[in-house]
Amino acid sequence: MTAVLKADKLSKWYGNILGISDISLEIGSGITGLLGPNGAGKSTFLKIAAGQLKPKIGTLTVFGEAAFGNSRLFQRVGFCPEHDSAYAEMSGWDFILLLARLHGFAPGEAAAKSEQALETVGLLESKDRLIKGYSFGMRQRLRLATSILHEPELLMLDEPLRGIDPLWRIKIIQLIKEYGRLGRTVIVSSHILPEIEAMTSEIVLIHQGKIFAKGDIHRIRGLIDSHPHQVSVRCPQPRRLAEQLIHSDFVHSIEFSPDGGGLTVETGQRDQFFTALMRLIAEGGVKVDEITSPDDNLQAVFDYLIGK
Amino acid sequence: MSSKETLRVIFASFFRAGLRAKRTRVFILLALVPVVLMAIVRILESSRSLTAGSSGDFFARVMLSLYFQLLIPVLALFFGSTIVNEELDNKTLVYLTTVPVRRRVVLLGKFLAALLLAALLVGCGFLLCFLAAALDRLGEPAAWSEMGVFLGTALLALFCYSALFTAAGAFMKKSILIGLFFVFGWESVVQYFPGVTQKFTIVHWVKSLLPIPPGEGGFLIFQLQPSPALESVLVLLFAGVFFLAAAVFIFERKEYVLADNA
Repeated sequence: MTAVLKADKLSKWYGNILGISDISLEIGSGITGLLGPNGAGKSTFLKIAAGQLKPKIGTLTVFGEAAFGNSRLFQRVGFCPEHDSAYAEMSGWDFILLLARLHGFAPGEAAAKSEQALETVGLLESKDRLIKGYSFGMRQRLRLATSILHEPELLMLDEPLRGIDPLWRIKIIQLIKEYGRLGRTVIVSSHILPEIEAMTSEIVLIHQGKIFAKGDIHRIRGLIDSHPHQVSVRCPQPRRLAEQLIHSDFVHSIEFSPDGGGLTVETGQRDQFFTALMRLIAEGGVKVDEITSPDDNLQAVFDYLIGK
Repeated sequence: MSSKETLRVIFASFFRAGLRAKRTRVFILLALVPVVLMAIVRILESSRSLTAGSSGDFFARVMLSLYFQLLIPVLALFFGSTIVNEELDNKTLVYLTTVPVRRRVVLLGKFLAALLLAALLVGCGFLLCFLAAALDRLGEPAAWSEMGVFLGTALLALFCYSALFTAAGAFMKKSILIGLFFVFGWESVVQYFPGVTQKFTIVHWVKSLLPIPPGEGGFLIFQLQPSPALESVLVLLFAGVFFLAAAVFIFERKEYVLADNA
């Protein structure tokens, strides 16, 4: 693998707050998912790679060059930041056209590239509206458009699906996958496992500023699937539901809520549990108001994997 | 694309954005205050409520106290310090620093846009004030020459103050507070100190260029020991270029960490 991005003993902290610590990593072409809970250090890593921050210790090179203050590099690199930020007083068109011009395109070509990028993210019809009138999801798509307009060899996307509606989520996932298929390098960060899973099988798990695991997502998925999950069910007859579930092999324990309006089930096989629960609901034996998973987040998975 | 063309693109975009900004509308209103005052004096003079020639005196006072001691430093402070600070507050700096453009070009393009906006606000206000004050002397070349000196001095002052506050904005996040202290603290107090101390203010060099003899400006130029005009022009130009170079130096090297990084 030819490394497009190479980090060597990379560390960064802000005062007493650790950003990332001793990260050594090589990323080549294709899609790599950067997965970790909020505050894990994903954004810090991407910002160093995008030349926004300087490493405190170690080095990070992109195409063999340091990124900070290296403006030439951005002919080959696209970066979509996680912040909901844009020039509110500009129209979407003025904003993307400005960036296209700054990428060095002549006026006509810049207009064509901008139009193409806006069309890709479905904003062509709204291009003349001021950005302050855009919804959160539209602004997120506009950010994505600015990062792809110059068709970069390395595309770095920090939480690109945040705030995007389900339809566009699918389209953007397809777009990212298409980028990967073209042999370009894409680094996508997210704290939501299924998002990353939908794009790539190659992941880097970051936790508390360190690389926790790197490799194929299916191996990680296997670990996660055997992670005991808690599922809370709000229902008018929790004792009746408990009675029907308690003898199942996949139920480890059941705890009733203090208000008597629900129960929390711990299961080792989440999929089987949900199948059984759905069957009970469908057969009309049980009425359920709400189902939630208190520990269905990446932090819980990390806590489980590191044996907390 | 050449650096010159990039500079032009940044300048044009941010000038247009500046024209649309709410802040600019507020400053337009502020810049109209002296014009309204000037018009009122002129009307009172015409109706003989004021003695003839009052508008000429008032014009000089307006220029000094409202423009050179208030509007110009305040406009420069808000336009200059927000060149970088606004990008940090709105978290938009990332867009200008992830394009193949050197940071110095970004800063200079934005600086020129801010300077032109401020200059237009001041220049239009000046012109309207002048027209109101010198309505019956418009045919006199001396009147226009005086206006030219006021305008030229104002542009030099804007350049110098804006460059200073751009550097401050590139260096620290809350530069507006420091700038307010500089304008209304340091500059207001030190200019009345005797000897060379007052030369450590920008306003000293600005006042040295104004065509108002001591006494005509009242207490505001009390103790002013004007420096030679050529020296004043050179000092303001040099200081402006120095502050601008400092701003570029800081902006190219400084790492701007946003509050929610990690």
